[in-house]
Parts: sequence; C-alpha cells; structure tokens
Amino acid sequence: MDFNKTEEQELLLSSLRELVNRHLPDDYMRKCDEEHREHSEFYKILVDNGFGLLGLPEKYGGTEVDTTTLILVAEELAALDAPTMCDKMLQADDILEFGSEEQKKIILDLIKQGKQAFSIGISEPQAGSDNNAIATTATRRNGKVYINGHKTFCTNADRSPYMLCLTRDLESNKPPAQSISMWLLPMDRPGVRLEPLHKLGMGYTSTFEVYLDDVAIEEKDLIGKENMGWLNLMKNLETERILTAAQCLGAAQCCFNDAVKYANQRVQFEKTIGSFQLIQEKLTYMKIKLENMRNMVYKCAWEKDNGQSIKLSSSLCKLYCAQSAFEVADDAVQIFGGIGYTLDCRVSRLWRDLRVYRIFGGTDQIQIHVAGREILRQAAKAM
Amino acid sequence: MNIIVCYKIVPEEQDIRVNPDRTLDFARAEWKLSLYDLNAVEAGMQIAEAVGGQVTALSVGDGKLENSKLKKAILSRGPEVLYLVIDEALSGADTYRTAQTLALAAEKIGFDLILCGEGSSDLYARQTGIQLGEILQIPVINNISKITPQNGLLLVERDLDDETEVLEVSLPAVVSVSAGINSTRIPGMKDILNAGKKPATEWRAGDVGLPVYESKVSPLHTLAPEQTDRKRIILDGDSEENIQALFENIRQAIKQ
Ligand SMILES: Cc1cc2nc3c(=O)[nH]c(=O)nc-3n(C[C@H](O)[C@H](O)[C@H](O)COP(=O)(O)OP(=O)(O)OC[C@H]3O[C@@H](n4cnc5c(N)ncnc54)[C@H](O)[C@@H]3O)c2cc1C
Repeated sequence: MDFNKTEEQELLLSSLRELVNRHLPDDYMRKCDEEHREHSEFYKILVDNGFGLLGLPEKYGGTEVDTTTLILVAEELAALDAPTMCDKMLQADDILEFGSEEQKKIILDLIKQGKQAFSIGISEPQAGSDNNAIATTATRRNGKVYINGHKTFCTNADRSPYMLCLTRDLESNKPPAQSISMWLLPMDRPGVRLEPLHKLGMGYTSTFEVYLDDVAIEEKDLIGKENMGWLNLMKNLETERILTAAQCLGAAQCCFNDAVKYANQRVQFEKTIGSFQLIQEKLTYMKIKLENMRNMVYKCAWEKDNGQSIKLSSSLCKLYCAQSAFEVADDAVQIFGGIGYTLDCRVSRLWRDLRVYRIFGGTDQIQIHVAGREILRQAAKAM
Repeated sequence: MNIIVCYKIVPEEQDIRVNPDRTLDFARAEWKLSLYDLNAVEAGMQIAEAVGGQVTALSVGDGKLENSKLKKAILSRGPEVLYLVIDEALSGADTYRTAQTLALAAEKIGFDLILCGEGSSDLYARQTGIQLGEILQIPVINNISKITPQNGLLLVERDLDDETEVLEVSLPAVVSVSAGINSTRIPGMKDILNAGKKPATEWRAGDVGLPVYESKVSPLHTLAPEQTDRKRIILDGDSEENIQALFENIRQAIKQ
C-alpha cells in the first residue's frame, strides 16, 4: 500500500499553494459570497497559469491527469478556501466527448477565458431526485426545434451563455434511457425567462427558475445522439461524486485548521479553550472524520484509476464525506463560539456552503438508495 | 543567447529546529530551491523568450542535488537543460569554492550570459556571483532590476538610493538580479510533466577539473541568536505620548 504522492503531484500542489498565496486576496471569498459575485477573477488566474484545462484531453489543449491528481487539486484548493474549477472541467468533458465540433469550439473558447460556459438544466419542479420525471419537451416545427418547459435550481443560469438542457420525448413511451435528449440551448433566445432563488449559502453562485416558453433552437444544438442524453450524463457521474467528496474534505480541513488554531489562542477561565477536554474531544473526532474522508476519497480515486468499478464506493464516499464534512464544520462553529456565528468568521460561511452537498449531486437518501441496492445486488451475485 | 542560470538548494526555513544549546537541527528540513534564484531563472526565461536562445540551469553541491523532485522543480520553471556538479567534497562549500566549481562547469557548457540570484535564501552572502565573474575574468554586475538585451549587449538597470543607474554590459558577463526584478512564473501541470523529460547531466568534481583545495575558512559553529525575554510592555492607543513612549522603549532596547 502506498500513500505517497508522486513528485509531480507534490510539485503541482506546491504550485497551487504558491498561486493562492500570491493571487487570492484574504477577503476575496467572503466578498464574493456577500456580493453574490462568482469567482471569475480567480478562474482567470487558474487558466492563465495552466490549471484551467486540467483533466481535459490533450487534443483540446487540456492536460490529461488521472482521477487521483484531479481530486488532489480539488481538495487542496478547497482546503486553502480557494475556488476550484474541477467540477466544471468534468461537465465540459461531457461535451468534448459527445458534442459536435462547433459545440466543442464554443465551449472551449469560453473555458479558456475562465468563463462560465453553460448551466445544467436537469432539475424541474416535479423532477428532483427523480430526474427521470423531467417533462421539458423538444418539438420540431418549420425546420426549427422548440423547447418548452420549466427548469429549476439552475446554477449560474444568468452568467452562462448556454444551458445544457435535458428534454424528454414523452410520446414515445420509451424508458428514460431511450427518451431523454441533451441540447446546448443559447440563453439569449426569446422565450427564456429567469426568476432568482435565494439561498442559504454558496453566495458566489446564482440560482434560478428558468421558464422555457417555445424557445426556438436549431437541430445542430443537439448534443450527442437524440434520445440518448442520459448516456452523456453518465460518463462522469461517478467521478463527479468523488470530486464532490474531495471538495467537502478540503473545506472540512480548512474549518479544522481554523478551529485548532483558535483553540490554541482563545483563553477562558484563564486557560486556552484547547486545554479543556471537551474541546479536545471535538478536535479528536473531527480529525478522525478527516482521516476517514481522505482515505475513502483517495481509495475511490485509486479504484477509478485502476479500472475498477466505483459505482458502490463513489456513492458511499459522497454520502460519508457530505455528512462528515458538515459535522466537522459544525464542530468548528461550536469551537469558535459566538464569533463562529458571525459572517466575519469563515467557518460560518463554509458551514453554510457545506450543507448543500447533502442535497445536490444526489441527496444523502439517494446515495443510500444507490448504494443499498448495489450492496444487495453484489451479494446476490456472489451467492 | 545561451544563458546559464545558477541556483542553489536550501533547507526549508520553517522546518529548521533550534536545539536547546542554540545549534540548528536540519534533520527534518526538506530541501527546496533557493527563493531568489527563481528570479534569476525567470529573468533568463524572459531574455530567451525575447531574443531566442536556450536557458540552462546549473547547480553545484553534494548528493542532495540528486533529489529527482528538485530536478523537476527547477526544470518546471522553464530551463531546457540541467547540469549538476555533485561531489561530497562540495558539501557546505563556501562561496569561493562554489564560484570556482560553477566557473569550471560553465566553461565546459559554454555561455553568453550567466545569471545569479541576489543571494542564497539560507546564507545570503551575496558573494558567489561576483566571485564567479572574477574567476571567469568577465564583466560582473549585481543588484540588477531590469535587463534589456540590445544588439548583442545588455542594457541593465540598478536601483540606487535616489536614482537608477543604467549600464551597458558587454557579453559574456555574469549578472546577479535583484529579488524585485520580476514576478516568477508558477509551473502548471504541463510544465511539471515536461520537466521529467528534459535532459539532466551529472558531473563529478573531477569531470570539470576541480582542483583539490583546502578551504581557508572553516565554520566553528552556527548558533541561533540568544533568546531575550519579552519586555511585556503594552501601550494601548495611538496618542502622542504612547508613540513617544514606544519610540523611547525601542531606543533603549537598541542601546543595550
Ligand atoms: C444550491 C443548489 C444548486 C443546484 N444546482 C442545480 C443545477 O445547476 N442544475 C440542476 O439540474 N439541478 C440543480 N440543483 C437541484 C438538485 O439536484 C436537487 O435539489 C436534488 O437533486 C434534490 O431534488 P429536490 O430538491 O427536488 O428534492 P426531492 O427530490 O424532492 O427530495 C426531498 C427529500 O426527499 C428525499 N427523497 C427523494 N426521493 C427519495 C427516495 N427514493 N428515497 C428516500 N428519500 C427520497 C430526498 O432525499 C430529500 O430528503 C441544485 C440544488 C441546489 C440546492
């Protein structure tokens, strides 16, 4: 068993630390959260320094790296309380795999400038965890394709020139795997209307209800094969779970680091609060959770890199990390006391942000739904 | 232009422990590239990118230079080629010994320009560059904050107290750059992956013809400064009296 990072990975992480030290102002993350601004300046810096296209194929100017390296980058950036782009890269990878040459060019040009290329239009009011229930339609008329439907929780819909929009052919009576299509929908078309949702955390992202009323797009806006849209989404689904878990791990590490420092400084009853065993107990269990998360994330990435199935392990990993990271953040808030509840203290922001990981990317319950069935299936097969 | 950039590896300051007897413990220290040398590398890269040519990295020292991560680290910053002179006889070499070895290696490699950092980030003697120029008997100049290659010469700037000196330097030459000359590039993943593929040559002292020599100077000991107790004087507020008191306190402390 080898827990060493490669020299290349170590150098990469030290480059990232250098980049963050040099280019990320102390109050940047707090301000973006407060002012509801995206991290575009920092994305640009990541791109300009050769971190922008990490994980994308060489032929598109990317740097191919294994899953382990990708999650190390995501973890490190999150631990430094810096924005990561890794999730965007995976979504872009879907298009590079399935999109047309024109679509690839459009998306790559935007990403290379560090810009938001597209939002993800899967969820609908009646289709949350049950995303097979989507009812947005694509209808052909006069040589055009008309999109009708209502998307919800569409992250950054106002800042993205395109939406990856999923539609369903309801009339075919075919199962979702054979009746869902994916479109690259230009957001500047008539018939697109946005209404903002106001969130508890993740202030740096914007979130919208998107009403699509007879939005005319072209045949060429289809991504991949018609009715096979699920396939596009599946390509990176499991890797996205590990990546989400890695981001949770990093953010929890950041909370932990702050909390330990504070426990050594804050004096009450003429002692540092760290000298109280109740605080030490918290720190000890926080540390155990961090170790467990890290081991799960790294192992899962290792499995992926070694061609093993991560269907079960990626669900377990995402579930455990989303829950544990939030628990670590919650304990960090407790260690900070009143200050921990103020907006000046970053653990309060990370606590708010981390809560959502138990909801998106598949809720806790959905991970259990996936994992539970897979555990039983594997056992039945072995009998 | 063929440019050689000299660099040193130094222990990570944060990992150096001070023992109770004030001696220093390097056992847990990782080795890293000396900070100011990175500015020399960057200066070299910018010249090569402006007028063409090749940047070669060169370091001399003991076996610690063999560390393959450190080799990738320097090459990921841009240089195309790496030369190392590695010999236990060069362990803890003084500036003269270092300059002498660098000079022999540089002559063997061939160059138009040698760039050095402001000083090493551990000992910071700021002698190596100057001695190197003297040994090679070519123009040498230090503390340079700007370099512009022009018609086979270099136009260099040096910041003095009240003015900036602009000088023309003929080549070949040795130039030591100031830490403020540039902001160094941060290696991206591609640079790091490519670094492992670049050629690195390792010579022994004998390969460059380094004469056996006995240093005239040998360090007796290196000790951390004695810790003084904190005075625990707290002045609250920025009133005129407080500022005056702060000033008085500092003055007293310096006088002692
Ligand atoms: C900040 C934020 C950003 C988002 N961004 C996007 C985006 O960009 N694009 C996009 O398409 N979507 C996005 N989403 C939507 C997200 O994917 C959904 O919120 C998520 O899938 C859950 O769906 P839901 O909210 O409708 O909850 P529901 O599915 O209604 O779930 C409600 C509760 O019921 C539980 N539940 C549901 N089904 C089961 C079951 N079978 N067994 C047991 N329990 C169950 C859930 O776990 C949950 O606790 C975002 C959501 C948030 C909060």
